[in-house]
Amino acid sequence: MKQQTFQSRHAQEWAAFERWLTLRGRPRTRDRMLDGDDVFSDVEFPAAYRRICQQLALAERRGYSALLVHRLQDLAHRGHLILYRPKAPRARAVVDFFAAGFPRLVRSQWRVMLIAALLFFAPLIGVIVLLQWRPELVHSLFDPAQLANFENMYDPASSAEKLGRESGTDMAMFGYYIFNNVSIGFRTFASGLLAGVGSIFVLIMNGVIIGGVAGHLTAIGYGDPFWRFVAGHSAPELLAIVISGGAGLQIGMALIAPGRRTRGRALVEAGSIGARLVLGVFAMLVLAAFVEAYWSSIGWMPASVKFSVGGLFWLMILLWLWRGGRGRVDVE
Amino acid sequence: MLDTLTLVETPEGIALRLRAAGAMPRAAAWAIDMVIRGALLWGVATVIAVLGRTGVGFYLLILFVIFWLYPVLFEVLRDGQTPGKKIMRLRVINANGTPVTWISSIVRNLLRTVDMLPFGYAFGLVASLIDPSSRRLGDMVAGTLVVHVEPPEQPSAAPLAPIVQAPIALPPAARAAIVEFAERAATLTPERQQELAALLPMLTQAGGALAVQRLHGMAGAMLGRS
Repeated sequence: MKQQTFQSRHAQEWAAFERWLTLRGRPRTRDRMLDGDDVFSDVEFPAAYRRICQQLALAERRGYSALLVHRLQDLAHRGHLILYRPKAPRARAVVDFFAAGFPRLVRSQWRVMLIAALLFFAPLIGVIVLLQWRPELVHSLFDPAQLANFENMYDPASSAEKLGRESGTDMAMFGYYIFNNVSIGFRTFASGLLAGVGSIFVLIMNGVIIGGVAGHLTAIGYGDPFWRFVAGHSAPELLAIVISGGAGLQIGMALIAPGRRTRGRALVEAGSIGARLVLGVFAMLVLAAFVEAYWSSIGWMPASVKFSVGGLFWLMILLWLWRGGRGRVDVE
Repeated sequence: MLDTLTLVETPEGIALRLRAAGAMPRAAAWAIDMVIRGALLWGVATVIAVLGRTGVGFYLLILFVIFWLYPVLFEVLRDGQTPGKKIMRLRVINANGTPVTWISSIVRNLLRTVDMLPFGYAFGLVASLIDPSSRRLGDMVAGTLVVHVEPPEQPSAAPLAPIVQAPIALPPAARAAIVEFAERAATLTPERQQELAALLPMLTQAGGALAVQRLHGMAGAMLGRS
């Protein structure tokens, strides 16, 4: 068939397809025009797209002019983008992910998670213990202004009303915790791409600093308001840091030891695992920020209540990570 | 190596032509996005100032959204284009040609942290200069590409000329070239057309405007006009 015949035979079809693309193919639903008289309905789109693909293949095979081939390529490419557009996440899939998929993913990466936990909790507990033994060592961690700031925040004499802050409403602190802590979580993960060094550094660094504050305040007798403040949100926050560190470490491992895959392939797989871990970390840190802003700061609550709630959080989150999604068949 | 065009075969049996975008247009798109994000934040700050201290919390929440989620939301919900990329006619897609997904967009945008090191996207720039399809580190881990969106070409009809049969049988590539020459006639000056037609004296057996006319006539025959 000559090009002219081919073109005139299909010109209407191409025009209709292009019209559908411009009117119904917009990413935003409300930008899309309602079905008009001369626009075919959405259910006919896949078939129309397949015909365009077939005509493109024919045009290329028969050596039709480059302009025609380009036009068909353009139509096919735009159709391809719309046909394979990612679906909006369904509520069911989101619930499934947090209930089962995420804990399972954490367990499947148990090696890096264990290493991350050691890298974080060993310096944390080590520094706390060390500072009870040799309290003056705290001065090699913080300068006097920082120490004065910490002492001011948890002074048992002054902090009658709100714990763990100098000023600011609950909402202001919630925003602060979200921006600050979630950013730290994200960076801990991302810096793992530097052969894991970034994540290792952030984990140890945070362990030492948190341990330093906790150890110092306990050593000078400000332990009661401090532990009452941190008990509630410690479980989601500390475990989220560990998991994001582990997510970073597994990216670093994919770079160092890709195994029987190419390095690029290993990185892409590790990136996909890491992003899903970070989604869970994000949820945990939002929970932690909420607890920290609205619950942990309540000053009058007796220590026994604070500690039992904090303990309950530890128990439930560890139970969730350990048992979540067990014995269920993966739907995906 | 120099050609940035990659062909990706799809399950439909067609090849998608992906033209990877280099560092410069991407930096420009990023700069446009930064201006938009700055303006958004400034607008939010002036509105929220009336709320006082509680407003600080909302401000930080919105800062978080603009800082971390802006690129992800735009890339996934707007066909791979943030406003800056749209202005620069760029698009983020998966390396296999499909639209960028949630996970890959999250990965490539979180890993900006590493691309920004040690300052001013230096790692990302070096990576994109080394990589054949100029991907930064985040793109490599996410398996994504930034490509140029090519504006659609409207084919112009070849000009009508008396039909001439080519004196010899031509291979398909040569036939396509002659047809394309005719279809592009509207975009070429008559002088340039004559120059090009003069390259084929054996075929046209004429010179000047007559050669052009004969080529158009041959194109007409190849297109199937009568």
